[in-house]
Amino acid sequence: MVRRSFTAVLEKNSTFTEAFQTEPYETAWASEARWFVRVQEMSGTGARLRATAQISPDGLFWCDEGTAALEMTGVGLSSQALREFGHWLRLRVELSGEAPKVKVTIYLALKE
Amino acid sequence: MNRRRFGLMIPAAAGAPLPAQVARPQRAAGRIPDDPRLARFNPLKRILVFDDFDEGINGWAELVSNHNGNLDDLRPVLRDMRPAQLSNCTFFDTGTHGSMSGTYALKLATRARQFHTAASIKRLTFQKPGPVQFEMYFTFKAEQTFDAPDPNWDGNFTPSERNFGEMTISNDVCMGEDGPRFICALRYRNATPEGELVQKWMYKTSLHTTTKMDRAGQTLQSVDYHVREVNDWKEIPGGRQPLCFNETSTKINWHYLRWVFDTAKQRNTELQVNDLVMDLRGIPVPSYGQGYRSLNHLLNFLLDVRANRAVRNFLFVDSAVISVDW
Repeated sequence: MVRRSFTAVLEKNSTFTEAFQTEPYETAWASEARWFVRVQEMSGTGARLRATAQISPDGLFWCDEGTAALEMTGVGLSSQALREFGHWLRLRVELSGEAPKVKVTIYLALKE
Repeated sequence: MNRRRFGLMIPAAAGAPLPAQVARPQRAAGRIPDDPRLARFNPLKRILVFDDFDEGINGWAELVSNHNGNLDDLRPVLRDMRPAQLSNCTFFDTGTHGSMSGTYALKLATRARQFHTAASIKRLTFQKPGPVQFEMYFTFKAEQTFDAPDPNWDGNFTPSERNFGEMTISNDVCMGEDGPRFICALRYRNATPEGELVQKWMYKTSLHTTTKMDRAGQTLQSVDYHVREVNDWKEIPGGRQPLCFNETSTKINWHYLRWVFDTAKQRNTELQVNDLVMDLRGIPVPSYGQGYRSLNHLLNFLLDVRANRAVRNFLFVDSAVISVDW
């Protein structure tokens, strides 16, 4: 049997002006995960996006996973790989700078 | 239970050697009469699909509206239907519940936003018109909330049950190159936005607004993708059915559902949910008056769950079977 895999698109061309978290996503079956954050637009003086992986035992209560956050200051694609993350994943995203505004697509690529 | 229906052709399994100590049942060559995973279903003559979600997502993709490459053009009602999940049904109080058999179930989860809908679609085409049957074992929940406890809680009925809105099964069928195209949709309305329990099966009385209709300026609302106006639903006669929510937001009980529609007659036939069987042959099914290209022999199946309040709603499916009589 080849290894099972699945890509979830958790945000599609979504525009944000303040901090947010992606929806909880169940990952118990997967041993590998890779976040992809695609910034399609970014505006605001000194705008910066900072995405931190979070884990949870139940989809209700969350803590940081511990890997260094992804930081992006402009349009582009960035990625982060995780292992041993347990059964739930989400991204905690913070925006900084003056009147920051971003349009993003966020993927979670999972593999057994 | 019609056991003759379980003569399933499984060529790979038929040729696989069994250990000597395993008693091999008497059966015709190449046929397995008693696959326990299928014995709980009642399929028609030919099984097209057997989805056991311990095996993966099985092609239940996120529903999305038509677009031309620019996702900014996605219609608001169909731009955020959420990717399905493989859930081991873990809850904060007792940990992993597991599915009906095995560990994983397909899970559709809304956002914690009123009227948000999570929808997944399975896309097939058909060989011949005629009866089509969809069966599944499902359960449903509203996410646990931690509001101030209700001082009047009686220890039996959970306020969480009022936080589960609706779930819907539907299809999308196009008979030929230019149609006709029709959509059957059957909805279990559990509770109103005010939290009043309804617990009835409904059918829709208007068409799902297509992207083509939307671009012609025919969209009237963006909170229910199934219908032209939000109140275009009627009760199925005899369709009241309290399901087993089971007193808390973390106990899941699996229910059986069997839905038959007929693509030759372009109508529903019947819906069975546990012991309730509803004759749907007299229920009107709306059909599109205009032609649609590139949908020849379309046969789509959809599952969705819709929040009545700002609380995540979940639909879990342990396994599903789609069968036909051709």
